[in-house]
Amino acid sequence: MESMNKTVQLEAARALVTALESDNEKAAEHQLTILTQSQESELFHEVGKLTRELHEAMNNFNLDSRLVDLTENGMPNTRERLNYVITTTEEAAHKTLGYIDQTLPLASELKLTAEKIDESWHRFRMREMNADEFRSLSKEIEVYLPEVKQHSEQIHANLSEMMLAQGFQDLTGQVIRQVIDLVEEVEDNLVRLVKIAGQHIESKPKDNKDVDPIKAEGPQINAGDNPNVVNDQDEVDDLLSSLGF
Amino acid sequence: MKILVVDDFSTMRRIIKNLLRDLGFNNTVEADDGLTALPILQAGGIDFLVTDWNMPGMQGIDLLKAVRADEKLSTIPVLMVTAETKREQIIVAAQAGVNGYVVKPFTAATLKEKIDKIFERIDAQ
Repeated sequence: MESMNKTVQLEAARALVTALESDNEKAAEHQLTILTQSQESELFHEVGKLTRELHEAMNNFNLDSRLVDLTENGMPNTRERLNYVITTTEEAAHKTLGYIDQTLPLASELKLTAEKIDESWHRFRMREMNADEFRSLSKEIEVYLPEVKQHSEQIHANLSEMMLAQGFQDLTGQVIRQVIDLVEEVEDNLVRLVKIAGQHIESKPKDNKDVDPIKAEGPQINAGDNPNVVNDQDEVDDLLSSLGF
Repeated sequence: MKILVVDDFSTMRRIIKNLLRDLGFNNTVEADDGLTALPILQAGGIDFLVTDWNMPGMQGIDLLKAVRADEKLSTIPVLMVTAETKREQIIVAAQAGVNGYVVKPFTAATLKEKIDKIFERIDAQ
């Protein structure tokens, strides 16, 4: 088609030169029209081709259900997930700070009483203490020792709770990983969108992923809304015992 | 009693190790997914396996199945400690032969209770 066009154009150009040389105005005008017409038709052809390509590409793009799914479900889910991260980290921080608030006075109390007894004990060793004072000192020691035991146990328990509260890092980490995966997927799709602005994209086979009922999902964000999800350890125990566990 | 703790988050491994130490289990080893756990198990000497479910590489449920399918390892008690809470998942874990299932976040008391129960059952056998 192109070579035919070229032959036509060359012929018209030669005829135009001949017409101009022979001062044949009418013939020159005619050849000029032939030349511009062939130019225009090629331009229209190219525009038409581009339009069709763009149309097809946009159609392919619309058909990519994954992108639609990402927009409709992926993004709102991600918002919920990130809110879960905020809530979980906030709870963990408050829990830890709460146990610290509880523990610090226990430690100070032990320290203060120990200092007091230490001072009296020193006076006793220096034989600066009378019998009454010694009786009061031994009473103080008697009260102090069980208190040390009790406070240490409480401090140990509080520290254990603080340690457990750090589990938020695992729970939120799992959720953040899912968000990273989604961001990567959105990025891939955007790159494809940029690519089809200029050319066809190979229509990607739709992911007809079979839903795997036991696929690991990490912490459930809205467990209460999903009847298929257990809410706490008691429900796990109930389910297992219903299985004869 | 040597215990293998498998979780991809080092913080969670540390928490479980600390809790186990409080319960009197001082001999623990760690792995960060099923793929690194299996060779440790196959090398022998592990008496109890505590594993997460959702891990890159090999997941906890597949590790459990691999353990149950391995003649030398099949009787090792397995406790799953996980944030996976779908009913199907718990049922599949039970069918695969899990000995206990603890959901995250958990308490020290829950962990103790489940471990006690596992060993009670083993002692009763």
